[in-house]
Amino acid sequence: MSVINVIDRIFGSRYVLYLVLIIALIYPLIFPIGIPIQISSRTLAVYNYIQHLKPGCHVYMELYYEVAARGELEPNAIALIKQLFDKGCKIVFVSTMSTGPLIFSLLKSSAPDVFANKTYGVDYVFLGYVSGGEAAVASLAKSIKGTVTVDNYGNPVDKLSLLKEVDKATDFDLAIIVSSGTDTFNYYVRQWYTPYGTPLLFVALSVIAPSIEPFVSAKQAIGMLVGQRSAAEYELLVGRKGLGIASMDSQSLSHFVILIFIIVGNIVYWSKRLEAKKAKGGGR
Amino acid sequence: MSLTIRRFIPQTIVSIILIIMIIFYYFYINKSVSDAFTTWDKALSDWAVIITSFTLIIGGIDLLRYHLVQIKKIGVKQLPFSGTTIALEIIMVIFALIGLYYSYVYPKLGITITTQPQFTWLFTYLYAPTDSAVYSILLFYIASASYRAFIARNPMATLLLITAIVIMLGNTSLGNLIWPGFLPLRDWIMTVPNTAAFRPITMGVGFGTIILGLRLIMWREVSWLGRRE
Amino acid sequence: MVSWEIIGAWIAAFIVIWIYSFAFRDNVFYKLAEHIFVGTAAGYSIALAIDSLNRVAIKSLITQPTVSWHYIIPIILGMLMFFKYSRKYYWLARYGVAINVAVGAALAVRTIPMANIIRQIQAALTPLWGSDPIKLVNNWLMFLITVGGLTYFLFTIFPPKPAPGRTSAIYTLYRALYLIGIYGMMVGFGALFANTIVTRVGFVISIYLIYLQPYIIATIIGVILAAIGILIEVRRRSK
Repeated sequence: MSVINVIDRIFGSRYVLYLVLIIALIYPLIFPIGIPIQISSRTLAVYNYIQHLKPGCHVYMELYYEVAARGELEPNAIALIKQLFDKGCKIVFVSTMSTGPLIFSLLKSSAPDVFANKTYGVDYVFLGYVSGGEAAVASLAKSIKGTVTVDNYGNPVDKLSLLKEVDKATDFDLAIIVSSGTDTFNYYVRQWYTPYGTPLLFVALSVIAPSIEPFVSAKQAIGMLVGQRSAAEYELLVGRKGLGIASMDSQSLSHFVILIFIIVGNIVYWSKRLEAKKAKGGGR
Repeated sequence: MSLTIRRFIPQTIVSIILIIMIIFYYFYINKSVSDAFTTWDKALSDWAVIITSFTLIIGGIDLLRYHLVQIKKIGVKQLPFSGTTIALEIIMVIFALIGLYYSYVYPKLGITITTQPQFTWLFTYLYAPTDSAVYSILLFYIASASYRAFIARNPMATLLLITAIVIMLGNTSLGNLIWPGFLPLRDWIMTVPNTAAFRPITMGVGFGTIILGLRLIMWREVSWLGRRE
Repeated sequence: MVSWEIIGAWIAAFIVIWIYSFAFRDNVFYKLAEHIFVGTAAGYSIALAIDSLNRVAIKSLITQPTVSWHYIIPIILGMLMFFKYSRKYYWLARYGVAINVAVGAALAVRTIPMANIIRQIQAALTPLWGSDPIKLVNNWLMFLITVGGLTYFLFTIFPPKPAPGRTSAIYTLYRALYLIGIYGMMVGFGALFANTIVTRVGFVISIYLIYLQPYIIATIIGVILAAIGILIEVRRRSK
């Protein structure tokens, strides 16, 4: 049996692939390597944009992701919230996905330090889940108080002091869309940016990012943070270590392993093909 | 007559709403018309929000029916599984309703549907982990696909492979350790060729949606009516 | 002291492992975890639908009936949707769907020409001449790949293929743009594939850190149970 066949037999077993990948993924989480993280110019641009917002600004944050996407989006959201809270900005959270209340409670429990000195109703508000997709987004753009009567915790919205300051899309200095779906970004570009011109910031899953890049390029959004990589960079910028930085070594090693799978897969494929050609007698 | 109320009136409603919502968005007649439009435009969006809630409830009931049928069809073997689904679904709804009851009868306690303790426990320890695990299992298939399917068979596949490798290296800190240029190169690929490649798709979605609207207005789109008659 | 939180965390660790066991082989524990997921997801979505309905419509009707009286209409239309189960009155459900379809389509159609078409054309039309070579290359690439992609998606009109031995300038241009479009999209899909890996690895990392690492004993027991489940399945199949 040739070397190529031996390699193919080893790698051809999916259990070997899984096992190698699991080890590459878990090892750096137990024994961190600490590979330095370079900051991308795009992440820096987002950071600078927010730094230049006026202190005490009003920000809208849509949390639209299922629990699975927590690892990629939550660290970004936490880092952004920290930066905004440090600047004294006030945030209105809302979710047009049913998992919203769940992910907001998980987000708060992941970063108790960020929310520590902030008062509910004054510095931030969570409106809860609003069904209806694009219709909900359009309705909230026109009037928040005209859409929901009580927040997620049953408090009447007209009694919350933050919602006395803001009500419609034009009242916000920035709308941050943290989403695991492509549609949400479309909804906000269509219902918030196009009619009202509210600046949008996208926080997307890495897998979604390529398909919404045209909106960022057309300046319909001020920028985009993409997955765990941006999260790690942003955590470095705001000075709060979190899941983003913690996962970078593991990301590196598992990518490296997958890269090896791809290279070996190609070598095996082409060697076998050349062998078959030779056996046929020099090909065509 | 029956066809009128079964099909024609709903289709007319769709056409009228579409035409009014589009025309008054673009044309300004006078302030009172504009104000009335803004009010009713907002009201219609709210109506859609409310109706969507009912559709979600109906979706849940459909699932319940499906599992009852499964138990009937397969029998005792399916009972522990479909039974679990049905039981959990009903239990969650019951706890949610308890939360709703408390929010009206004892509003001072601050308990609502999403803060009802048992409901919170169920979604934190059952729904959250299952949801996360189900979506992340794909990683294993990617690992096996990267060995078997990701082959540079022709020039197009080779280009795809090279781009993917560069972006993979740009996405990780290890890649930047090998060559610091991977990160700017990744950013360039994402902002120039990738953006240009996805732009026609974005525009295609735009044209497609406009055509869908026209088809709805002209009664050519009938899939939303559901059952054929 | 065993608390509900600890019990929950153990169950969570079990469930995660059982779902992952499907990557190796289907087994009874995976099936159970899968059904737990479906049940809780459905229950959760019904509960949240009731929550949204309560906060958007019911509370509003109670507190400010003069403003929101018209919410009665969508509530009635929503209730009519339950007639979808009736053989005779199924068409009543269509009235609610009609409102949803019409509002959804109208909201999208009226802003999409600006958001998805005009702004995209504007962004693609960058200066194709100038002194900065890097900018020039970027602008040309952006322009050619966008036009190429649009050419690729032309499904209705094509320039006629010239007869063998003849050439047609329009057809050659069409083919060239078509190819540029395909190659451009390959770059896009390459980016998509690479980014998929980050996402999926990210999901697993967060699961490991949140559910498995802090409850390592539960994880090990979960693995043992899953292994037993797989062994039972293998034996059953071999019979």
